[in-house]
Amino acid sequence: MKAARTFIPALLLAAIILMLSGCAELKQGVESLPGVKLSTSDTQAVIKTTKALRKSFSDITEEEEYYIGRSVSALILSKYNVYNNNAVTRYVNTVGNAVVVYSDRPEIYAGYHFLVLDSDEVNALAAPGGFIFITKGLLKRCVDEEMLAGILAHEVGHVSAKHGLRSIKKSRLIDAFKIMGQETAAKYGPDELSQLSDVFEDVLGDISERLIERGYDRKYEYEADRLSVKFMSKTCYDPNGLVDFLKTMVDDSSKDSVHGWFRTHPSAKDRLIRARKEISALKTVPQKVAVRTTRFKEAVKLLK
Amino acid sequence: MRKISRIKFLIFAVLTAFAVVLAAETLIVKVQTTNLRKEPKFYSQTVAVLKAGEMVEKISTYDGWYKVRTSKGIEGWLHSSSVREKRFSLLAMDRSIQTTASVDEVALASKGFNKQVEKKYKADHTEISFVWVDKMIKFKVTPEQLRKFLKKGKLGEFGGAK
Repeated sequence: MKAARTFIPALLLAAIILMLSGCAELKQGVESLPGVKLSTSDTQAVIKTTKALRKSFSDITEEEEYYIGRSVSALILSKYNVYNNNAVTRYVNTVGNAVVVYSDRPEIYAGYHFLVLDSDEVNALAAPGGFIFITKGLLKRCVDEEMLAGILAHEVGHVSAKHGLRSIKKSRLIDAFKIMGQETAAKYGPDELSQLSDVFEDVLGDISERLIERGYDRKYEYEADRLSVKFMSKTCYDPNGLVDFLKTMVDDSSKDSVHGWFRTHPSAKDRLIRARKEISALKTVPQKVAVRTTRFKEAVKLLK
Repeated sequence: MRKISRIKFLIFAVLTAFAVVLAAETLIVKVQTTNLRKEPKFYSQTVAVLKAGEMVEKISTYDGWYKVRTSKGIEGWLHSSSVREKRFSLLAMDRSIQTTASVDEVALASKGFNKQVEKKYKADHTEISFVWVDKMIKFKVTPEQLRKFLKKGKLGEFGGAK
């Protein structure tokens, strides 16, 4: 009987805790229950338990993803110059956003933004938070809007599936969440800020190493291709645009491809086979429309 | 005796919490800003602009979109990727819908890797420039530009997509 008396309130409290899954709301909830006399340490323990749940990449907030992405982008831009041409930038952003609205994650913290890099290298990169880069060399390789849309949709797929955030070592996140959990003031004190800044740099290192040096894991590249086919067909672009691009990369041993794309992407031949399989599984395959190719050629004709 | 009243209270609290959760579904904007749209389409007319932390009441759902009502009574559509569900609303028992997140929510949301951490990173790495990152953020495709682009290219629903 005594055990039941202890057990029932504990069970009910556990039920409340399960429902009060937002941490801040939990604190208010626990503190505002009249008649329930929880000691300060018990309240803190309950809150702490909830905070401890924040330990994987999926617990990174939209805002945090944005700030990580900003710094990763700044690092990318420390290695590349920008191709500063308003008309081309506007066109690439419009094609990119057309695909974004038919993606799995159309709205992110500050939206998706696309920038052309002034490099003959054939490459494209996507930082967390929707910062997407395509080199002039890759843009020149495209022959129509479908091909460009296929590449941008692949990069949007990386952001949508959070591949950048998944590249962060788990131990870093545990360290970061621990420091964040300690702090209760509105702003970080100098010590916490210094500790968190160190972890932040490690996080940037994990992502940029993958993004710029080694490339994402093979399975993430295949997933981004699968998402590219999906987003393209939902937008009514012919997903064969991705296939057409991959075809240009098969057996390409040019310096610009070796230094860019092939350093960070798996074999185009494997990807080509998989992409074709994805397309053959579609119920209907949208067709190319001439007006799209015309406007693509118009937009990139001044590309030097 | 005191324990019995505590049990009674806890039962009441659990039941009330369940009722509140079931009765009113509140959504919280999780992106910096989002357009409240007249129709469930990205290029639809904007009826209001909502900011991170603002709360709205869910009225209905349609194909990845939520029809919502703001605290000012404005109705419109938000895409599901721009909001999160407020899973607990015990506070709503004695208060009407709040227009902004609680102080704790805002504090929690603004903690983590935030502007303050970026500022420290910039101070420690003056060789890394954020000039183009800030320029990049300003590239916007308006709903009208998007609509025209999709229409001209026979894309999206202009190409037969739902």
